[in-house]
Amino acid sequence: MQTRDTLTDNIPPHFSDRALPFNQPTPFPLARRTVALIASWLVPGAGHLALGRYGRALLFFVTIVGAFVLGLSLHGHLYWPTVAEPGSTFHYDLITVLWFFAEIGSGLCYIASYVLGLGMTPIPQAAASPTFEYGNTFMFLAGLLNYLVIHDAFDIAAGRKN
Amino acid sequence: MHVLMMSMYAAMAAVVLATVDPKSDTPRQRVIHGLKIFGSFLGIGLLLSWVLFPIPW
Repeated sequence: MQTRDTLTDNIPPHFSDRALPFNQPTPFPLARRTVALIASWLVPGAGHLALGRYGRALLFFVTIVGAFVLGLSLHGHLYWPTVAEPGSTFHYDLITVLWFFAEIGSGLCYIASYVLGLGMTPIPQAAASPTFEYGNTFMFLAGLLNYLVIHDAFDIAAGRKN
Repeated sequence: MHVLMMSMYAAMAAVVLATVDPKSDTPRQRVIHGLKIFGSFLGIGLLLSWVLFPIPW
């Protein structure tokens, strides 16, 4: 009876060079890679769903969307780059550019909130609260973590990791 | 309230950072790595708050 080892040893030399080692990650087709990247930005975890990593997809979705929703419920604010005051070195106020960059990472969470008008108007009572900044911080966290998730989806799609 | 928010922040960050860690191959390694990140966030946060507490501004 032939065992797996015997079969492996019998691979001709001109094939063995091309044979992939066991459990070696393989790259996905370009179209699926692109879909995974865009989906990953739009909906946290959707890129992993497209790549068949269901557990990770659920974990990322719950964590990142949860962080964003928690931020909104704590009266977090949606930032957009604003023009700096006259005489400033830069055209835009750099801190609002950074805040916008952090929040836009959460994709549709930001876009949907913007369209629905959530987090657009400052609430005076919330601003007076000692925990006011927590809302913003959780929304920044959601966007920045999603950048890491997009990168992870890219690595999996490119066959760099399992 | 502050400690609860800090714990939630640390937990969310730890979950994602541990999951995307390329050096952890098994779920057990990821859990251990996540717990280390969570503990680091909490520990450094508490330490900083303790150090900064006497500063009046």
